[in-house]
Amino acid sequence: MKPPEIDWDQIYGIIEKYKGEKWGLIPLLQEVQEHAGYIPPESIDPIAEALNLYPAEVQGVITFYSGFALEPKGKYVLRVCRGTACHVKGSRSVLRLMQKELELKEGETSPDYQFTLETVACLGACFLAPTMMINRDYFGKLSPTKVSSLLGEYQKK
Amino acid sequence: MDNIVLTIDNKKISCPAGTSILQAAIQNDIKIPHLCYHPDLKPFGACRLCLVEDEQSGRLMASCVTPVAADMTLLTDTARILSHRRNIVRLMIAEHPESCIVCSKGNRCHLRWAAAQMGIGETDLYSMPNYKPLEQANPFIIRDLSKCILCGKCIRADHELVVVGAIDYNLRGFESRPATVHEQGLERSNCTFCGTCVSMCPTGALSAKSSQYVGSPATESFSICGFCGVGCSLAMGQSTGKVIDVNPAHLANSVNKATLCVRGHFAHDFLNSPRRLIAPMMPKEKEDETTEMAPVSWDEALDQVANRLRQIKEESGPQSVAFLGSSKCSNEENYLIQKIARVLIGTNNVDNGGYVSGQFLSTILDQKTGGGCRPAPFGDLATADIIVVLGADPNHSLPVVSYYLKRAAKNGVPLVVIDPRKTDLVSFASLWLPIKPQSDLELINALAALLHETNDYDSEFIDRYAEGFSLFTYALSSLDTEKVCRMTGLQMQQMKTMAALLKEKRIAFVIGHGILQQRYGVHTLGAILNLSLMSGSLGKPGAGIYILARENNQNGAMDMGTIPDLLPGRMPIAEDSNRKTWEKNWGIKISPDPGLNMGRVIEAAESGQIKALYIMGENPLRSLPQPQRVKAALENLEFVVVQDILDSEIVNLADVVLPGAATSEKGGSFTNLEGRIQSFAPVVTPPGKAKPDWEILDLLAARLGTSAAYGSLEKIRDEIRRLVPAYADLNGSATAWVKPSSPMAVFGASDAHEMISFSPVVSTADEPADRDYPITAILGSLRYHLGSGTRTSVSQRIQDFDHVGNAAISKTDAEELKLKDGDTVKIKTRWGEIKRKVDCSNRIAAGQLFVPLAVNANDAMNLIDLTDLSEPSSTGWKTCAVKITKA
Repeated sequence: MKPPEIDWDQIYGIIEKYKGEKWGLIPLLQEVQEHAGYIPPESIDPIAEALNLYPAEVQGVITFYSGFALEPKGKYVLRVCRGTACHVKGSRSVLRLMQKELELKEGETSPDYQFTLETVACLGACFLAPTMMINRDYFGKLSPTKVSSLLGEYQKK
Repeated sequence: MDNIVLTIDNKKISCPAGTSILQAAIQNDIKIPHLCYHPDLKPFGACRLCLVEDEQSGRLMASCVTPVAADMTLLTDTARILSHRRNIVRLMIAEHPESCIVCSKGNRCHLRWAAAQMGIGETDLYSMPNYKPLEQANPFIIRDLSKCILCGKCIRADHELVVVGAIDYNLRGFESRPATVHEQGLERSNCTFCGTCVSMCPTGALSAKSSQYVGSPATESFSICGFCGVGCSLAMGQSTGKVIDVNPAHLANSVNKATLCVRGHFAHDFLNSPRRLIAPMMPKEKEDETTEMAPVSWDEALDQVANRLRQIKEESGPQSVAFLGSSKCSNEENYLIQKIARVLIGTNNVDNGGYVSGQFLSTILDQKTGGGCRPAPFGDLATADIIVVLGADPNHSLPVVSYYLKRAAKNGVPLVVIDPRKTDLVSFASLWLPIKPQSDLELINALAALLHETNDYDSEFIDRYAEGFSLFTYALSSLDTEKVCRMTGLQMQQMKTMAALLKEKRIAFVIGHGILQQRYGVHTLGAILNLSLMSGSLGKPGAGIYILARENNQNGAMDMGTIPDLLPGRMPIAEDSNRKTWEKNWGIKISPDPGLNMGRVIEAAESGQIKALYIMGENPLRSLPQPQRVKAALENLEFVVVQDILDSEIVNLADVVLPGAATSEKGGSFTNLEGRIQSFAPVVTPPGKAKPDWEILDLLAARLGTSAAYGSLEKIRDEIRRLVPAYADLNGSATAWVKPSSPMAVFGASDAHEMISFSPVVSTADEPADRDYPITAILGSLRYHLGSGTRTSVSQRIQDFDHVGNAAISKTDAEELKLKDGDTVKIKTRWGEIKRKVDCSNRIAAGQLFVPLAVNANDAMNLIDLTDLSEPSSTGWKTCAVKITKA
């Protein structure tokens, strides 16, 4: 399956908004990623041109931050916390369970572009350990049943 | 600025505020090891090797990024610092592949040097080499990023010095490496292969690719690049008598400093080509009665040349002999060849290849300003108010000039580009005027009129230094603005925007071949001078007129009088006083008739008026329009001498071939486009029996009856110094300058008083487009070749580069003609026809076609006609009307 089509008009609209504003590179990239789910590599050249930067510079910024992606991601990005507190509370099992259920390894995206599985070092919500994020929502005190039902829920969405 | 006093290693030193500790130490001969610092780059603080310790606080700091402060007391080699430095180098070595034995960087590797200094053999660390694939798909640069130490020199050189932006850091942490966008090979990026990064790389991560194993240079010595008019300083490495490695010489005052271009850095492998001429040759009849070039002795060849020239002179008069000096040969050589022509033969028929580039047009400026436009150092452009680039694509023609322009623009100097094509410079420009070819004159006049209308001119300057302003403004008032818009293809608003940019600014005009080779070039230069006077732009650094020169010694050849109507020192031959001076200097009579220029020599060869031609370092078969016609004309001659370094088409037409030497094989001096006179000494000896060209000319002069041969370069220089006032400083050093001597008040000499007069306002005829040939072809250069490409096309690296010189056509025209990328087309003009592949480009306007020169034996010359560029009847050599059909 192909990743969802990109609405280039909207991307060009975002780029146009920041034209000539070098400082705006990161907010621009965030907006593009917000819109398309990732930063399409084809957008590097027009972004660089609009901000009067070199394309290689723009690429350097994108690849420096793990928050930016140059490959399409699933509709839902699952970020399992692998911080110390979550680890103690069994986040390794949570991750294994998700890998099994989704048939995905860390960093992979499902062929139907529904899910991307990632891990992060800490989500800063240790009191809810073990935790994960699905897009912008937090889910804490995870258990195998809770994980299964969440995955089931998002599978249908 | 205030000076700061501090102590480094118990040595009290003083330096200006803002200096970094490292710079202060270097200035005072205190050695601090460093890997990422380079004097031409902004400090970066990546390698941390330059640590110093503050004695008072005990703090360690990187000296390259720490500015000096008052009363600092610093130590550079305490046990603590050494231990830190050792650890840094140990970590670098632990990540480095163990390939030093086969690494081409050899003993020039800075990392290896640092390790050796600190006695680091085994690191005692777990070795974690960071293997990356070797990238060597292009014929110029090998990238082995396993050896990268992330000093960032390549990236900074790319961004700060050559301003291309092909690479930047990609990824982070252990994975981090310099990369092109999308991690493509350099050949697929916008890299220009200037090689600046290669020269700067402290390790073997970047190295020059050679087609065969050449080893490390045994010695390295200084020379000047013999390709374009910039005249970059080179450090040429030789081994077993062959130049095998070229780097910028890194001289503080050189024109190029740490940069070079693809030609200078990589095309010098032409020196070792099997096509070099290595012995004098003459045609010999074989048993089957055909003739073939066969080697002869120098004596036999030179006797033949002298006898035949003398004989033809006696039979048909001195005007039946002509000489072509060379815009690639040295000042000394050009001085000698024109002296042979004028003194020993008695003819003014002497020209050089600068004719092809329209160099002689600069006489217009010389006459008007008394030579006041030189010297014109490009370094001053950094402080310009505004730079206007007309008819020039220096990114290709003279890359080092483009670095100056792009750096200035990046630092906030407004840059206006006037060019039909969207050149690479446009992305750095404040304004681009996509003007129709050959209409620059109309635009410049219109700008003058607009500035006059709004009273935005420097009346004080005009009153003091110029004359004829009221007549000039009267002529401006009758300009037909509608016609200007029609001819230039620009809107009135665009011109007004530009006029507004020029307001109250001293303008630096950078003039390229788009002006010098165009039909109305003479008038366009006059109009540019008018605008310079109006804006008060003359006589100040960073303003005025900067003329680009295509070839290394175009200016010098002209200065030395290798031009029909000028005596050495650019003295017009038509003036009695000039002739008297030189008649006295040389003790002969000089004819007041100007001789024949390169174009007219060919015509005279056709008609039989010229019977003998001596060609030194030029290839008219390749560089002049209508090559077939030129060939027929040369075949019509009784006697042709070719003195050259490479075997080419023209050698087959010669009666005597004399093998000369390339720049790196002889001594001499070149005068670059700024007016810098740069002397150089040989790096290697000429191949085979070849001799330095000045020696050949000196030997010939002796046979033609000169009273005393020079015998040494110094004696020739001595005479030039004595007789040509502008060259009084030609002293064998790498940097001397042409001495200014303008009698014009604006150029500042105390006894100078003359005014510069405004040139008449000329408006050109608005000619309808040719229906049969509806497209305007623009002929221009690509950075991989110089001029007609005689030398660069012999370079193995340039040959290996998959660069085909496709013509560029607009997408609109491509659609209409149903063409796609890579299709072959026939390009036809009234004069000839060539075939080229095309690229559909959005950098060129509909109705225009860009045809690169120098490729396919410079076949583009078939498209234009050999009318004299200096004549009003000329159609110009920069553009031509063409018809395109799919082949």
